[in-house]
Amino acid sequence: MKSKTGFSCPVRLLFGSLAVGLFLLSNAAQAIWYSNDRSLEVRGFIDNTTHVRTDSAEDGLSKMRNRVQVEFSKFTEPTGMFSEFSFHGILRASYDAAYDLDDDLWGDTSGGPVFLASEGGPALGLPGQVPWGAAASPFESAVVLPGTNPFVSGTSPYLNGFFLGTSPNDFMRLLNGEMFDTTGGLPGFGGIQLAYPTRPCDVDPRGCIAGYMDADSDNLRFPEFNDRYDWMRELYLDATIPFDGGSELNFRIGRQQVVWGRTDLFRVLDQVNPIDFSIQNIYEEFEDSRIPMGIFSAEYRAGVVGQFDDLNFQFIWKFEDFRPHTLGQGGEPYTILGAGDLFRALSTCWHYGCTVGNFAPNQTGGASLPPPIGLGAPTLGNGNSTGTLATTFPAHTIGIRGVDADRPDGAFEDPEIGLRVEGLYRGIGFSFNFLYFHQQLPSLHGGSEGPAAINPFLCDPALNPVCGALEQAAGESYLTEMQRPYLLAFDIHFPRVTMFGASADFYVESLKSSIRVELAHTSGEEFVNTLRPSLYSESDVVRWVIGIDRPTFIRFLNPNRSFLVSLQVFGQHLLDHELITTPGGKAGMPDWENNILTTLLIQGGYFNDRLTPTLLLAWDSKAHSMVVGPSVNWKFNNEWTATLGANLKFGTSKNDFDDCRACNQFPPFTDPAEGTPGAGTLPVGQSVNRLAGFAPLGAFRAGPIGMAQAESEIQFLLRYSF
Amino acid sequence: MKKLILTTAATCVVLAAGPVQPAEIAEEVIQQSFHPYTDWTPEFPGYTPGMTVNAQNADTFEAIMDEALFYFVKNGWVEVETAPTTEFPLSEKYIAATRQNGDVALTEAGTLTNYVAGRAFPAEPDPNDPDAGQKLVWNYQYGFNSGDSETIYPFWWTFRNVDTGKVERVIKFEWHFLNYKHRVEFEPIPEYEENPGQIFRGIYSLVKEPFDLANTQLLIHRYDDDTKRDDAWLYLGFQRRVRRLAAGQTTDAFLGTDLMIEDFEGYNGRVTDYSWEYGGSRNLLLPFYNHNEMALSDQPADDPTGYRFVDVHGKGNCFPAVTYQLRKTHTLIGTPKDPNHPIGRRVINLDAETMTMASLITYDRKGDMWKWFPIGKTHSDNHIPENQGKGVALDDFAVLLDIQANHCTTLQFKSIITDEDNQPNLFNVQQLRKRGR
Repeated sequence: MKSKTGFSCPVRLLFGSLAVGLFLLSNAAQAIWYSNDRSLEVRGFIDNTTHVRTDSAEDGLSKMRNRVQVEFSKFTEPTGMFSEFSFHGILRASYDAAYDLDDDLWGDTSGGPVFLASEGGPALGLPGQVPWGAAASPFESAVVLPGTNPFVSGTSPYLNGFFLGTSPNDFMRLLNGEMFDTTGGLPGFGGIQLAYPTRPCDVDPRGCIAGYMDADSDNLRFPEFNDRYDWMRELYLDATIPFDGGSELNFRIGRQQVVWGRTDLFRVLDQVNPIDFSIQNIYEEFEDSRIPMGIFSAEYRAGVVGQFDDLNFQFIWKFEDFRPHTLGQGGEPYTILGAGDLFRALSTCWHYGCTVGNFAPNQTGGASLPPPIGLGAPTLGNGNSTGTLATTFPAHTIGIRGVDADRPDGAFEDPEIGLRVEGLYRGIGFSFNFLYFHQQLPSLHGGSEGPAAINPFLCDPALNPVCGALEQAAGESYLTEMQRPYLLAFDIHFPRVTMFGASADFYVESLKSSIRVELAHTSGEEFVNTLRPSLYSESDVVRWVIGIDRPTFIRFLNPNRSFLVSLQVFGQHLLDHELITTPGGKAGMPDWENNILTTLLIQGGYFNDRLTPTLLLAWDSKAHSMVVGPSVNWKFNNEWTATLGANLKFGTSKNDFDDCRACNQFPPFTDPAEGTPGAGTLPVGQSVNRLAGFAPLGAFRAGPIGMAQAESEIQFLLRYSF
Repeated sequence: MKKLILTTAATCVVLAAGPVQPAEIAEEVIQQSFHPYTDWTPEFPGYTPGMTVNAQNADTFEAIMDEALFYFVKNGWVEVETAPTTEFPLSEKYIAATRQNGDVALTEAGTLTNYVAGRAFPAEPDPNDPDAGQKLVWNYQYGFNSGDSETIYPFWWTFRNVDTGKVERVIKFEWHFLNYKHRVEFEPIPEYEENPGQIFRGIYSLVKEPFDLANTQLLIHRYDDDTKRDDAWLYLGFQRRVRRLAAGQTTDAFLGTDLMIEDFEGYNGRVTDYSWEYGGSRNLLLPFYNHNEMALSDQPADDPTGYRFVDVHGKGNCFPAVTYQLRKTHTLIGTPKDPNHPIGRRVINLDAETMTMASLITYDRKGDMWKWFPIGKTHSDNHIPENQGKGVALDDFAVLLDIQANHCTTLQFKSIITDEDNQPNLFNVQQLRKRGR
């Protein structure tokens, strides 16, 4: 379907039909429509957004969204105690043709067979890559754990057995694709490699997480038409009760956006609405990427109070059921941090079993145990571990089970509320903010607080007497499910978070700049922590931003019109950060203890701002990754506008981090081999050789910019407004 | 002890005399300032009201056209229809307040002392007075062209290509102006008591159309202390948030129009940002007319009161289709103190009777003529019923014509002198959020 040399015929057809449709609309539609009494106004737009990736294995269309949006406002006469009563709404529908036109990348024919790294294989004369679902044959030679039921290979699924009949080596893609880097902290012990199914959940249910990441083909193509009625983007009532002296009480009730921040691209205080990152990672305007929520907002606008030129008190209550950020599902073009891909890979692991590249050391303490126990592992030679091998796991061992049953959902039982005081004092705008909400990014509770998992080194004694010896060595029975410290088995949680913050803006004459500052402290946020048996821990976090907006003349570019130069520096500090360094890499919390993100926007205007060139840069100082977004917008007239731009990523972004694969979760089978650093009988989780890799936790250090290194794009928008 | 006795005695004298009364302006000065046409009509050799000034006779009448208008007429861009000079009497309340301004004076910083309301310096400008320019600009700054408060709606800003006449864009606004201080018409007089920031004037605007700019709002606070920088905020609909404007953004094209925020009403900034010089007085043809007597546009077609805008004509449809009067003006030349200011100087022609800006020519930093900004004026008695008796020389039409870019933005609108919506709670940052969508 995909054409490497240019747009395929269907693409041209779609472009053509869209152009015809827009032309017809332009002749049929009027400017903003008003009712005769002007109490009702309707406006909107129809547009096409096309993104093309040009420099990656997934080059081709990443977006061809055709969207229509209708906005309306209905004003009524003042009634009763109300001085204002109005009703507002935004309805939106879109169709992303990329899922049909490039269905081999994103749609129902996407994905294929995958081969996973087995870096320790060649040292033993074995292959360096093995296929998904590899068997313990001389040709594949993956580590196939006994729990995958190797003794009945070739038959139908057996208990937790990995069965290619239900999880075939097809419709898959490697996590982090071409960004995968096998150079771990120790030679031969490269990063683990995961694979995830790519097709929509109605085509391939593997790895889909019910109620969280379970979009079918139509959900992807028509994202607003889901069970949350996102086509009804905003719908709220505004009512105002005036008081003597000019103060007033305003209510805004319904699905809406509540904007608390003063920043672009990244958010500090602006945490009320979750974000849909699946639209375009972090690069969509917040106006479009915020997910409007059902919110009751009451504001007392006191006006002038004492020495304050303006004072305002706001209370908000989110009465719509909790929604986290939309991160993008495995197989979608935009999955921020690769999280959706990772989650789908891990969910597949839990429910179907999986083959993981570079997982088990090619020599372990367990493998050197005398027979019959040693028979449970492949014959890998003797001596020290020299590398890691692809490993096939049974179901219910590692992975993501699903969203925790205690997922917040009740507006009354589990309310999210906020308070804000905002005002103006001697020309300085300020706010104090409080928000009691749920973390909108998922937290993975694993190991000792994760789902109860089986021991994959055990097998059914009824099938093979060796299995009995394995049970004896482990001290537990086959299929015993229990929470196992440090095990990479997770449930998804959205913990409670409390945020206190403040902001200010003011003008500094000497700098000829307006300054924006925000500061927020949160408690309750959870982060991955491979040093904890549950693989996560809480940390208080301080975030801040300083923004400087300065109109600046660049006279050789435009002698009569200044350019807006907007610089933002974001900082984040984890107050309870934990990190250690091992020979195999860093372990603990992959998030940086301190990080600085810098953004720079330069925007000019020519021909009465009908031509607007913009240059956006963002730099992640710790990840050493950068995005450059040049664009140029041309307004043909009031109705037609076009934007051509690019989103180019640069930088290293290769950040390795411990993945706890060497955390010795199943002693004695996972004890390090003799002669290996850290060998000997070690407590669970206390392996000296924490092994690091890019996937999955290096992603947290690479950040949203670094993780999108392979997503450089050319972007085009054509819009007709009415 | 002796000093104490003297001080006490002085205090007793003051108390016995009661509050100090401000010195009054001589009535002759008042009459000359506010009613120059009572016994006098401007004249110019060969000029007869009712005649048409065009390319053929432009050279003859060069002296009664500002430099830009002469250029346009001479080059056939527009023909000027003329009409007799008429009086534009300002509100008696404003004139009455002016009578109390005998003690108004300039400080060393160029600001005012002892000023309450009315025209600060009603006396005829003296060419030998080094402060004449500074006094004139204060007369403009505290002028009465918007009354104490004004609403402008509908308000259409149309981008036009001068060469082709093509309409590129139309931005539709509503605008509101409120004087917090120095008020004479609407209560409270002379000022709002609850004004901790000592705001002099608030300006608020909301974009209604087109879609890409809809819900954009601008708020400006100008402080009574002219040395204090204006505060300005912009609510951007596509960002759903308020951004504080840096001062430099007031000297940039506003929303892509040919106007900068600093151009609003002729000059919209701090007096102390410029050095002001009096450039003499002369009689000029100015677009002063009676709105209801003009051949009007057919827009806005849907105005419920049937109000119609002043029409456009001439090259690129960049000129008002109105009659011009020969009127006495004072020329005010402003030079920005900021060396990085995009403008080299402003030449403002103040209408002597109303002290409103009748025309403005801006020159770029090289000294070349850059933009022409005449504001068409109608008297409030010749406008919509709500404006009857308000005593205001109403802004009724304007165009910002960029001579170098051959581009113009015409401003067609309906001014309403009213305090109905223009209360302080409309002019605060929360209002931007409240009305923001």
